[in-house]
Amino acid sequence: MIRKLLIANRGEIAVRIIRACRELGIETVAVYSEADADSLHSELADEAVCIGPGPSTDSYLNMERIMSAAMVTGADAIHPGYGFLSENARFAQICERCNVTFVGPPSQVISSLGNKQAARNTMVAAGVPVIPGTDSPVTDVTEGLALAAKIGYPVIVKAVLGGGGKGMRTAFSGEEFEKAFLTAQKEAQAAFGDNQMYIEHFVEHPRHIEFQILADGMGNVIHLGERDCSIQRKHQKMIEESPSPAVSEALRQKMGEMAVRAAKAAHYVSAGTIEFLLEADERFYFMEMNTRIQVEHPVTEWVTGIDLIKEQIRIASGEPLGIGQDDVQIKGHAIECRINAENPKQNFRPSPGIISTLHLPGGQGIRVDTGIYSGYRIPPYYDSMLAKLIVHGKDRTEAIAKMLSAVGEVIIGGVETNVDYQFEILSDADYQAGDINVDFLKNHEIGGVKIEE
Amino acid sequence: MKNNHLFKKTAKYIPLREESEEGAPEVPQGLLRRCNACKSAVFVEEVKANSYICPHCNNYFRVPAYKRIRQIVDEDSFEEWDMDIPFSNPLRYKGYGEKVRELQEKTKLKEAIVTGKAQIEGIPVVLGVMDGRFLMASMGEIVGEKIARAIERATQERLPVILFACSGGARMQEGIVSLMQMAKTSAAVKRHSEAGLLYISVLTDPTTGGVTASFAMLGDIILAEPGALIGFAGPRVIEQTIRQKLPKGFQRAEFLLEHGFLDAIVPREQMRETLAGLLRLHTNQRTEETTEGQTGGDLRSNLREEPDFVPMSAWEHVELARDKKRPVGHDYIERIFTDFVELHGDRYLRDDPAVIGGIAMFRGMPVTVIAQEKGEGTKGNIARNFGMVSPDGYRKSMRLLKQAEKFGRPVIFFVDTPGAFCGMEAEEQGQGEAIARNICELFGVKVPVLSIVIGEGGSGGALAFAVADEVWMLEHAVYSILSPEGFASILWKDGSKAKEAAALMRLTAQDLYQMGIVERVIGESENFSKETMDGVTANLEQGIADFMNQYGKLGAEELLERRYQRFRKF
Repeated sequence: MIRKLLIANRGEIAVRIIRACRELGIETVAVYSEADADSLHSELADEAVCIGPGPSTDSYLNMERIMSAAMVTGADAIHPGYGFLSENARFAQICERCNVTFVGPPSQVISSLGNKQAARNTMVAAGVPVIPGTDSPVTDVTEGLALAAKIGYPVIVKAVLGGGGKGMRTAFSGEEFEKAFLTAQKEAQAAFGDNQMYIEHFVEHPRHIEFQILADGMGNVIHLGERDCSIQRKHQKMIEESPSPAVSEALRQKMGEMAVRAAKAAHYVSAGTIEFLLEADERFYFMEMNTRIQVEHPVTEWVTGIDLIKEQIRIASGEPLGIGQDDVQIKGHAIECRINAENPKQNFRPSPGIISTLHLPGGQGIRVDTGIYSGYRIPPYYDSMLAKLIVHGKDRTEAIAKMLSAVGEVIIGGVETNVDYQFEILSDADYQAGDINVDFLKNHEIGGVKIEE
Repeated sequence: MKNNHLFKKTAKYIPLREESEEGAPEVPQGLLRRCNACKSAVFVEEVKANSYICPHCNNYFRVPAYKRIRQIVDEDSFEEWDMDIPFSNPLRYKGYGEKVRELQEKTKLKEAIVTGKAQIEGIPVVLGVMDGRFLMASMGEIVGEKIARAIERATQERLPVILFACSGGARMQEGIVSLMQMAKTSAAVKRHSEAGLLYISVLTDPTTGGVTASFAMLGDIILAEPGALIGFAGPRVIEQTIRQKLPKGFQRAEFLLEHGFLDAIVPREQMRETLAGLLRLHTNQRTEETTEGQTGGDLRSNLREEPDFVPMSAWEHVELARDKKRPVGHDYIERIFTDFVELHGDRYLRDDPAVIGGIAMFRGMPVTVIAQEKGEGTKGNIARNFGMVSPDGYRKSMRLLKQAEKFGRPVIFFVDTPGAFCGMEAEEQGQGEAIARNICELFGVKVPVLSIVIGEGGSGGALAFAVADEVWMLEHAVYSILSPEGFASILWKDGSKAKEAAALMRLTAQDLYQMGIVERVIGESENFSKETMDGVTANLEQGIADFMNQYGKLGAEELLERRYQRFRKF
């Protein structure tokens, strides 16, 4: 069993992990940068070590200093949280070499899943669906037409050397294909001096559906249902929920099975997440596997009743999973809203500063994960997330009502936040109807703000 | 460590593991080390992968000899020499033998230097690399012997030598015998040099004592790694002697460069490339043109052509010659030559920024290029002292001329100076002597010398760069005994009559061409600037090629005789 855990992270996730340890009776070591000297996580931990100046490269990304802090304090395990070193295979490897338990998968697994092409190949071999496409470049339009039919419309034609949208065209039928291919090819030739193209199935307005996985060192793998993270701005998730209104029980079983298969194929150990794109016709494709705890893990915790951080620590300690797939029951509906210090009216520009007043909601079915407090100074070096507001209701309607009420109660003075923006999303009729996809914020004007491509 | 006043604790204290317990967290030996410069912990593997440079503060760690060889030479090309020279203990110093054996065991080295033959980008070279782990790479008999033998063999096989110095100095344990190594190695360098062969010395941290005062400072070209400590007496000894704290950066590579003792500071990642470039500049022997026994005759006639002189007042010429937009020395070097390597320093006192000198390729032939450099813009002008050359600039030029002569490289001068620097330090350091020496010695330099006046040719300061087999001028360049302002002020006690003076002085290219002071005038385009100079440099390039072709054929004696007569006639 882990005796003393060092948390190589900051903010709400560091607080979240320390709380789990406090419940488990494990001693904790916080590390903090000079900019985080007055942070909640360093106060809450049993010990705290300053690991350098504010910029992440000098502190939370500095492996040498973090490892030195572990040695000095006698920590026997390190939890990396999310971001920073959480998916750094080299760091995991260094932990292994120093006999320090890395709370996460083995370094080998991180590194093989970090390689997109290798991960895709592993999944194809395991029979996990990936976005169909050509394996090698195509230059001939007739050959392309035949391949496109095989791949299935709509398709997207992309220049091999492409970037910035140049040399990219979609075609929704065979009739459209020839023109799309030739135009894209011409553009590619002009822009990159190369006319080699890829053809890929065009996944139109998909949902971002991800499955939470737990895998122990004995080869047991279960999934804890899905999260729908379709509300996102430029790949930054803003609202997540579980279960997804688009996933039926039958689909959940099917996708869950694939997620478990994917994790097994990768020889995964620890908590992890399989990301899929889900189309309106229920076809879905593997995107990638995240080898860390996710920001949005609380929604899964609430609908399943499983504490994911504690499970991570147990698995890292070498214990087997205490539950089987049949024990996992999805109960009610949970939603998470990320509260960020940013100004939606100024292109979501970060807004660091001092929090002058603070009121956070509470009550039945409401959870707040945060590292901020009244008088807290937001350092300019890190991401702008201040808090996660999580609610749980008996169904989606109740959960939305609860979230609206809770968000409406949030008062954060002194800095700009996205609270009002989130309130508007939750009030949107399409959102309330569950009619969402990854392009939602691009296709809806929210409180006078529309996200451009 | 802070905190723990605010919240109640809940941890169940489990006693820490016993020290000896298996599987206890521990950083394995050799995984992490502390950087002695920034004090931060660094992963040894990362440092090794990064050429032994601290990834955090860029500090240079010392490189083990074999690792250094691997960084520098072509794969598998190193052949080690003289591996088994028997140990001797001339002073019968107690414990010395054991210490050496211990170090041999620990470092897997036989002694503090590894010598042998290798190739760098295909060019064969004799290499010696010192290793600081072995008694601070101090030079005792074996180190000196290996260096002497390597250099002697290089002389025999006519190969260039590269020595990577890193040493605390002479080896105390061997007493006077160590001192003699300074003489022995220097003697070997001398013979190698007299054979016309190249020796590049690379100084790494630290190079001090008897090594600095012998072979390390005797390179034709001396390079150093950034930040390397280089000196004769160690800084601590100096501080104790003078009872004063030494300033920051004292005796560091950058300090030595400024003081004229280094040709260049080369970052470790660029060392192999730099050495290869220098070796190439010394391997390309002049392509033997078919000499048709064409000696004698009027060589200059081939080049003679009457340019179309634009009618213009002398003062207008002066203004054009001084124009801010006018290209300066380095613009010509960049456009006419390739592979230019700048070499710094006079090896006495300073590196004069008003002179840029170095080796370059001209159509496949190595040449020495020396330019008076005014710099660009006000900042550049100040940094380059407006092209006003100091004694150390003339001495740097002299050094590069001797080097050119040793390696048989033709010399091309670019003249652009308002005059030699007029200041106290210049006089203290012998401005007159430095100019005189340059003028005089140029009559003995046994390689073709061409001088091109590209802007202002001011007085003796210009002449020191214009004793040549031929002198050319750009159409609007000027060349005179003194600035028109100075001329007016001396003769008429009125510096404001510069325009009138200019008209009298016969300082334009046309005047000087007619007087036979210059052999050739190169026409300029209108609005002559960096942007519009390509036509001029193309003409110059063709002209230089012709010049090389013709003067290259002359024997040294004839070359010098012609140069003598060229100036004898005035």
